[in-house]
Amino acid sequence: MTFSDETLNAYVDGELDAATRAMLEAAMATDPRLAERIARQRALRERVRDAFAPSLTEPVPERLLASVRGAPAATRAGNVIPFEVRPRPRWSWPQWGAIAASLIVGMLLGPLLRPSAPQAPLETSGGRVLASGTLARALSQQLASAQPRSAPVAIGVSFRARSGGYCRTFVLHETHSLAGLACREGPAWVVMALAQSEARGSGGGYTQAGSTLPPAVSRTLDELIAGEPLDAAGEAAARAHGWNP
Amino acid sequence: MQELRTGLVELLPRLRRFARVLTRDAHDADDLVQTAIERALAHAGQLRADAPLAGWMFGIVRHAWIDEQRARGRRGRLFAVAESGEEVADPSHGAPLETLAVQDAVARLPEEQRLAVALVLVEGLSYKEAAHIMEVPIGTLTSRLARAREALQAMLGERGGA
Repeated sequence: MTFSDETLNAYVDGELDAATRAMLEAAMATDPRLAERIARQRALRERVRDAFAPSLTEPVPERLLASVRGAPAATRAGNVIPFEVRPRPRWSWPQWGAIAASLIVGMLLGPLLRPSAPQAPLETSGGRVLASGTLARALSQQLASAQPRSAPVAIGVSFRARSGGYCRTFVLHETHSLAGLACREGPAWVVMALAQSEARGSGGGYTQAGSTLPPAVSRTLDELIAGEPLDAAGEAAARAHGWNP
Repeated sequence: MQELRTGLVELLPRLRRFARVLTRDAHDADDLVQTAIERALAHAGQLRADAPLAGWMFGIVRHAWIDEQRARGRRGRLFAVAESGEEVADPSHGAPLETLAVQDAVARLPEEQRLAVALVLVEGLSYKEAAHIMEVPIGTLTSRLARAREALQAMLGERGGA
């Protein structure tokens, strides 16, 4: 009696009817090659199951628990401006930006927004927060590898997002101490995250901005980044291409 | 509704696992699960009282993934890297080689076979449940499973050292 691979699979998957199962088990007892074929399929099933088992015991991210609750996630912690009150899946940046904008406008970022101040570093457009003024200039022009210590904006890390575009982290000095992350979209820099940062001057080098980013910003960085941050050469090349991917 | 939310919380680890096998990327997987949860809550009325929540949710995750891939296609982002099999599901930190090898082999399967593997071998669903979620006849499911197993055996061989 011969059994097809699909019959053996069905046996291993617990899908065989009782009569066929009895025949198969009887044949296995006298046919070592059949028994071996079944053992192989059984081993494969176990290997596949085991390979994906560890993910079951990983802690579930808070944002998923929050979306089950259907309520805004309670991420308003410390001095972090609650950009992530209700994080959207990463591939819907526009909605995400709209939520961010609605949180910022009229709150403590009000004075930073145009048109109240011509040199304001941020502006809203189409429900999103965009870099403007000195911040936009710095994001487009300034290289982290060669920036003056006195610059009003310190650029941290530059990287390619998983969506393909370029993003950069920054710290706004001067009167406000804000750290953020902006991503290039067409001619604009869309601000994806913003949080109050540590006072300047404590740690020195701006190039370490990535390691001293507020948690809300570094979390956004972790979510967006594809691969490693750009090195000095990569940063210069990206600027030379106008930050077009 | 509260019952649904409780059920979803219990199901989250499995949804994340299923989404990882499907998307081959831990970040995409969580995004996908989030989208699926939002859809499920918005369409809670469509869940029949006697239907298992897991099967319903796996179906929603699958549809959300199809939609996401279409959206990415429209944006011109084809899966050049992932489809070529260069990208492992997740840079699982310090995972044993055996685990990585099997995850990588599964990631290289064509999508329809990967889905069958995810539902039957990983999630342990019956053929009937899996075929229902995939919206195919049981015969189609079992032949996809058979092809997937052949490919996996060829890629992985016998459980060796490592």
